[in-house]
Amino acid sequence: MIPPFEYQSPETLTEACRVLGEWGPRGKIIAGGTDLVISLRKGEARPQILIDVTRIPELRRIEETEEMISVGAAVTHGEISSSVLIRRYGKVLADAASWVGSTQIRNLGTIGGNIVNASPAADTISPLMVLEAVGRVVSKKGVREVPLAELFRGPYQTNLKPDELLAQISFPKLPSGFRGSFVRLARREAMAIARMSVAIVLRMARGEDRIDEIRISAGAVTPTPHRMAEAESILRGRPPDEETMKKAAQCLSGNMVGWSGVRPSTAYKVPVVEALFRRCMRQALEEKP
Amino acid sequence: MEIRFDLNGEKVRVEVPAHWTLLRLLREKLGLAGTKEGCGIGECGTCTVLLEGVPVNSCLVMAPKVEGKKVETVEGLGTRDSLHPLQKSFIDHGAVQCGFCTPGILMSSKALLDRNPRPTKEEIKDAIAGHLCRCTGYHQIIQAVEEASKSLKE
Repeated sequence: MIPPFEYQSPETLTEACRVLGEWGPRGKIIAGGTDLVISLRKGEARPQILIDVTRIPELRRIEETEEMISVGAAVTHGEISSSVLIRRYGKVLADAASWVGSTQIRNLGTIGGNIVNASPAADTISPLMVLEAVGRVVSKKGVREVPLAELFRGPYQTNLKPDELLAQISFPKLPSGFRGSFVRLARREAMAIARMSVAIVLRMARGEDRIDEIRISAGAVTPTPHRMAEAESILRGRPPDEETMKKAAQCLSGNMVGWSGVRPSTAYKVPVVEALFRRCMRQALEEKP
Repeated sequence: MEIRFDLNGEKVRVEVPAHWTLLRLLREKLGLAGTKEGCGIGECGTCTVLLEGVPVNSCLVMAPKVEGKKVETVEGLGTRDSLHPLQKSFIDHGAVQCGFCTPGILMSSKALLDRNPRPTKEEIKDAIAGHLCRCTGYHQIIQAVEEASKSLKE
């Protein structure tokens, strides 16, 4: 049973910030509710008020400017996976969104919720990392733009203050010639939380068998999201041949262990994250740029 | 708080505590017990209803969220005398055994056929991936949806 609380559905961002500013840590933002309602039920979250942000038009839109794609925090995974704009300029994100939960969960759960819940296993985070996404954080006092990685403090912890809310996530449109892939491993194919995931976008040098630019991020294997910068620099400028791939895979799994520490699962995770990385590279290279 | 919404094509106005889920509102206040509670945490799909035409887990939807929205439950699908083609097909193909998962699967199947009247087997499997059925092994359910899609066409 869920204990009582108040519920407000502001229709503007200004109003949402005002209500949140008034209630501070006693309030909780709700969008899809796919994580929060479970916490309410378990008694892990005990807000005095829920502030529903899904009626704020600017949080519900996917927009494009000359250089950027902006996604409102209350856009659902279902809307992202079928968005023409996102499929064109950041397909890796649309692919990842299509893996979240079930159809029913994707129709409720939102990208902003996936980020602020800060689960290391969140499917949309590694794709947003390789898209170099930035979050727009707003409060009564103003607006700040925060690179995605800096939003996270630890597993299930963000750097948002109690009076702040995530309003929008934006990323630069991937230039033409880029291709990408998202792969995940879970206990079952559908309806299971990712144990590990890898997102890659890359561009080959024109007319050459050589990687011109590459960005890699692995999900669920580190406490907070990281770009795999060392592995990227091994691959950048080189052909994706066996020797280079092996070096990059070992570097990536080495970084994972470095950031997460040696755990009982490490003996399993090292070869598996390497295999996922290779699978993701293969799929990205097969993709039509 | 008072909320107003469209339930199975009828305007409803109801007083509900803000901390109730849509599932609880349907079952305990509105007397619509066709929608079942299974896991209560969005895993099993048993409580699936359509919100603005798309399937959602009603156990994860807070009741105030449906203010001004359109909700469809299994009670709106067909009547005893005039079954929805999906309901008839589920009976004909033995897709109902204990029946607990059936209302939810019917609603996801309806949403699928509304959007895509002639789905492939893979599309049907995708559409019901968020539902657990421990009796049928899913084969009869998939068959029933396939056959229903044919009868809708005719």
